[in-house]
Order: sequence, then C-alpha cells, then structure tokens
Amino acid sequence: MGKYRGWLIAILVLLMAATWVIVRTPARLGLDLRGGAQLTLQVQTTDKVPQITPQVLAAVQGVVQRRIDGLGVAEAVVQTAGDDKLLVQLPGVTDPQQAERILKGTAQLLFAVQKPGTETQLQIERQLQSQLLLEQAQLLAEQAQKANDPEALKEIEAKLEKNRESLEKSQKAIASLFTPSDLTGAMLTEAFASPVAPASPNWSVIVRFDSQGAELFAQLTKEIAGTGRSLGIFLDDRLISAPTVAVEYAETGIVGGSAEISGGFTAQTANDLAIQLQGGALPVPLEVVENRTVGASLGQDSIRDSLYAGLAGLVLVLVFMVAYYRLPGLIADIALLLYAIFTYAAFLLFGVTLTLPGIAGFILSIGMAVDANVLIFERTREELRAGKTLYRSVEAGFDRAFASILDSNVTTLIACAALFALGTGFVRGFAVTLAIGIGISMFTALTCSRTFLFYAISIPSLRRPHWFCPKLESVR
Amino acid sequence: MSFSVNRQRSLWWGLSLVVILSGLVAMAISWVSLGSPLRLGLDFIGGTRLQFELACSATHNCSQPIDIDVVRQVLNQQGLGNSSLQIVGEYGVSIRTVPLSVDQRTRLSDALRQKIGDFDPQKTQIETVGPTLGKEILRSGLLALLVSFIGITIYLTLRFQFDYACFALVALVHDVLVTTGIFAILALVAGVEIDSLFIVALLTIIGFSVNDTVVIYDRVRETLKLNPELGIQEVVDQAVVQTLGRSINTTLTTLLPLITILLFGGDTLRYFALALLIGFTTGAYSSIFIASTLLAWWRDRPPPRPATNTLETTSTP
Repeated sequence: MGKYRGWLIAILVLLMAATWVIVRTPARLGLDLRGGAQLTLQVQTTDKVPQITPQVLAAVQGVVQRRIDGLGVAEAVVQTAGDDKLLVQLPGVTDPQQAERILKGTAQLLFAVQKPGTETQLQIERQLQSQLLLEQAQLLAEQAQKANDPEALKEIEAKLEKNRESLEKSQKAIASLFTPSDLTGAMLTEAFASPVAPASPNWSVIVRFDSQGAELFAQLTKEIAGTGRSLGIFLDDRLISAPTVAVEYAETGIVGGSAEISGGFTAQTANDLAIQLQGGALPVPLEVVENRTVGASLGQDSIRDSLYAGLAGLVLVLVFMVAYYRLPGLIADIALLLYAIFTYAAFLLFGVTLTLPGIAGFILSIGMAVDANVLIFERTREELRAGKTLYRSVEAGFDRAFASILDSNVTTLIACAALFALGTGFVRGFAVTLAIGIGISMFTALTCSRTFLFYAISIPSLRRPHWFCPKLESVR
Repeated sequence: MSFSVNRQRSLWWGLSLVVILSGLVAMAISWVSLGSPLRLGLDFIGGTRLQFELACSATHNCSQPIDIDVVRQVLNQQGLGNSSLQIVGEYGVSIRTVPLSVDQRTRLSDALRQKIGDFDPQKTQIETVGPTLGKEILRSGLLALLVSFIGITIYLTLRFQFDYACFALVALVHDVLVTTGIFAILALVAGVEIDSLFIVALLTIIGFSVNDTVVIYDRVRETLKLNPELGIQEVVDQAVVQTLGRSINTTLTTLLPLITILLFGGDTLRYFALALLIGFTTGAYSSIFIASTLLAWWRDRPPPRPATNTLETTSTP
C-alpha cells in the first residue's frame, strides 16, 4: 500500500506541474484558427545560382525576415521548409496582397556614395531612424500582449501605421543623401564575418567583389577616402550599413576587390550584416507557391464547433466506460482526464502549434487512449471468470496486456514517424501531436490506471469482484 | 465455442472483394472521366480558392442574397469561365479557379466588390496552391504511406513472424483500398474531393488497423504456446472470440468522438472525420475477418513435400 501512496504523490505532483504549465503558457494557435496569412515561397534557381544550397536558403531567409520586419507584423514567423522553400506566417494579416508583393521580389543590394556636405544630416536621420525602429519593436511587443483587448489594439495599430509612415519618410530622406553607383549586389562574390584579431571580441565583415566590382569599388572608395563621407550600402532601398573609408586609401582607393568593414561589431551583428549582404548578393527570385489566408472569425467558428464536438465525444466515452467497466471504468475515466491534461500541457511545453487537424488528432487520441485500459480490463475480467482472486486478476490483467499495448503503439508510432519524416506543414504537426498522445496514453494507462486500481483494491470496502466484472457469479 | 470466423471465411472474403471491386470500378470510371482515380482537391492539383462573405454590418449591403449569375458573369469577363462556384450560406460565395497571381486575384475581388458589395475581411478565405507544390504534397504523402507499410512489416516480422506481418499488411492494404474506394464512389456521386488531410487520415487508419491486428496476433501466439495440441483454425477462432469484446469497445470509443466531429464539427474536418470513420470500421473488420482468417488458412495448408526428399531421389540414381 505504501508503494502506491508514493506513486499517487508522484502523479499528484505531475498533475500540479501540468496545471501550472497550462495556466502559465498561452496556447500557440495556428493561422487556421486565429486568422492570418501563410505563404510558402519557393526560391527559384537562375543561371548564376543553379543550385539552392543551405547557405543560399539562409541568406534568402535573412532577406525575407528583413522585409517582414519592414511590414510591421507582430509574431511573424519565417521558417525554411524542405530544400528550397520558406514558410512565412503572418498572423492577423487578412489582406496578403501587399505582403505577397513585397516578399516575392528579388533582393536588391546597392552601393551608393554620400553626397558632400550631408554628414550631420545623415547622423541626425540615422538617429531618428533607430529611434523609430525601437518604437516599432515596442509597439509590436505591446500588440502581441494586448491581443485580447480590441480597443487598445486599435490604438496600437494606429500608432504602428504612423510609425511605418515615419520610417518610410526617414528612409527616403536617407536615400536622398546618397548618389547611387553602378556597383550592385550581383558583383559581390562573398561576405562573411570574421574576428578582427584571433580570439578578439571585436568582429568585422569581409566583403569580396568580382573583377568588375573590384574596379568600381576602388573608384568609389578613392572618391570618399578621408572625406568623412560614407559608402552607403542599401538592401531593398534601406540603408543597412554606412562605412567610411580611411584617408590612406585616397591615392588608389581600396584595390584587390576585398575589403573589411569594421567598427564595433559583435560576432552576432557582424554575422547579421554578412547574411544581409549575402542575401542581397544573390539575385534569386522568389515565387509564391502557396498562400492560405483565413479571416479571423472563420477560425473562431471552427475552433468553437470542433471543441464542442470533441467535448461531447469525450463525455460519451467517459459515460460508456463507467457503464461497461464499472469501478475500473471510473478509474480509467480519471486516467483519461489526466491524459488530456498531461497531453495538453505537453503540447504547450513543446510549443506545438494548435491547428484544426491538430485538435481533431487530440480528440481522436482521447478515444484511442481508452484502448490500453480496455485491453487491461478485458484481461482482468477473463482472469476473474477463471476463478482467480481480485488482486491476482488485476495483476495478470496488466502483465498480459502489456505486450499488446506495446506492439500496437509502436506500430502507430511507425506511421507517425513516416508522416513526420516525409510530410509537410500541418501534416507534420498532426504526426507530432499523435505521437505525443500515444506516449502519454501508454504512461497514463500503465502508471496512473495501475496505481489507482491497486490503491482501490487495497481498500477493503471497494474489494468487490462484481464491481469489476458484473454477472461474475452467473458465469461461475 | 459458438462463433468461428474461419467457418464462413469465404463469405468475409467475398464481402471485402465486392466492396473493394466496386471501389476500383468507381476509380476506373473517374480515371476515364476526371483523369485521376479520386477527385483531387486544391492541395494536390493547385489552384486558387476564394471565399467571400458580404459585410452585413454595412448599411444596405445585405439587402439581397448573392446572385450566382452575377458572380458567373464577373468570372466570364475575367476569362475564368470554367471555374467552379458555390454559394455558401446566403451571403457567402466560394470560387475555385486555376492558380491566380496577386494581380489577377485583386482584379477579380475588386470586380466582385463593385457588382455585389463589400466583403467582410474577417470572413474571407484565400487559398492558392501552386501546381508543383500540390504534386509534391501528393508524392510525399504516398511515399509516407509506403514507408510506413515497410516499417510496420519489419517490426511485425521481428515481433511475430514474416507470414503474420504479410497478412497484417494485406489487411492494411484492404483498409486503404476500401476507404479510397468509398471516396472514389463519393467523388462520382457527391463530388467529394480529397485534400492532404485525406492522406493523414489514411496513415492514421493504418496505425489503428494494425493495432487491432496485433492484439489478435498476440492472442494467437499466446494460445498456441499454451495449447500446442490445438489446430491453427481453432486457435485463431479462440483468439478472435477472446479479443472481440476489446475490439468492439475500442472501436466504439474511437468512433464516438469522430461521429460528434462529423455531425457538429466545422466544415474543414467533416470529410476527414468521415474518412477516419470508414477506415476505422474497416480496420476493425479486416483485423477480425481478413488478417486472422488468412493466417489460419495459410498455416493450415497441407504441408508441401519436404524439399530434401526430392533432392535425395534425384541425386541417387
């Protein structure tokens, strides 16, 4: 009996932990439930880039991420999918036209020379821009926080719109301070981050150009060396870096087609800039191959319907179990409720995005989780009918049913693995939720049901065989 | 032992054959008329689906339901005459076309807005799937199906024996054929399309069906060990009867939530639930009436003449 008390306490602790997780963690709803746009972009190959390597994909991902930041969408997600695709999720965006246009273009990297006499102006404008960007980040965080308050949300959105306009204006102002050159990203062959000296905390970005680019770069750097004016590097019309050129290059410019951009970079910021440059250097067009946009209220309708349906199904299952299996049925019901709580907590913990099919999978898994209990109880009944004592019967029920439970769950897990390995998008999500469900259902059947059942038969007043198997006497 | 699955096995096999054959016939018919055995949805062949609903809070916007002829007219003007159209509710319309670019789509929705009225962005749904992506989804789905077949066969061969695994596989293929067959019939009769959820459903069906088979096999193995003197037919009959209660109850508890989703759940999941419902029922049936009876039949064949004998007679002249 002491043994089961230990287990009971362990289960109780687990239940409290799961409840804590559920209360503390907000659910991640898929776009089909909360509304929004999901785009799949395919990176197209060109003569220059005949193959999409992981590096190319990472660089393009950087470009797309940047463009989305420019759109000002809270909680946007950019993920790689497969070898040549990017999955972009834009929650709350119900008109994907603008997003689609902005995302699918080819990244434009451009070098420009600062106009004489604009030094202070550029400084002011850049400061203003970084302030605006800071403000945007704050607003986006606020927007995510107040997702449930439509009044506040409207206000924030209005502010965001204003902020976006100011940013655009400041971008244009900055661009007007520069004269575009003929040097473009197509002539950039390489960009990577490197420490200034071995093991130094200061990093720099090394850029390399092809022969034509090297010539143009030497000309440009010669023009501005030592003047205090900077070389503007624009990606998609936005200034990403504005390095100055030291006076010692005034004679020849920076020759050899290789240059180092330094100045207070950390490993992180240097790498970011290198990826941006790389992305701009890749003239790869993007194509929108999939676009799914769901209005917010459509998602809410279906989540409500499916939740109600699921709950109704669950209640029927619970009633059936008690009606058919009596006391063990009641215990199985408790185990099933624990299963539902644990599984939901696990979804939140693993950051599973809840989609409509995912919820269906969850509901289904509740019905399937019964199976282990049914196997055990059927076995227990058989043993009781064969004339064994209650304790021995319950014990044998668990022992004998174990092989069946294991085999049947492993085969389902194999199907899950195949779905996960080969499926795409929400198909994978379904596989993950099903697999988590199977794992936890085995745990609750073999641990929770077992503990409760043995605990129950350790209480004399509950030790009545016909509560475990009705009509037992007549069978004997 | 009053119930014997083996006694009437030709009946069970015949029943399955009839269902599978009629499914195959339906697939053949739709192959000829549609170019594919099932009616493939947007997910697989690509295209654009737009769903709009009038914004009824705006004044005078919802004075009358959407007129399908007006929508048809707009589509014709845009050169999209062969698109399919469906009125959803009273104030909603669902349009399916070939894949549209952003500009084409904007032009279409603008034209519709002018003719019909403003739409509620909260209830708008736009889906565009490129044709290449659709093919990829279909291919990866079928591959997943194949891989899970192989994985399950290997696992069952390790846990049981190769012939057990083979018949479990036959039962799986049976379930997949019955489910797709019924959807082929539904495609002809009611125009039901399959989407990528259908592939998910098939894989879930496989997992569930093999569960059932494994439970019976487990019992067969155990009974054989305890009563080596029994014939295989009798062992299988006993195993089926002993696990019947569990089969029925588990199937029932799994079907209950599916039925509630089918009846009360959202539109998206309706055919998903139906596919699972058909598949799970078939899965339970095939485990009891197909996988086990085939096993009994196979193990009960008259033993072939031992190979070593024939070798001896030929090698000693």
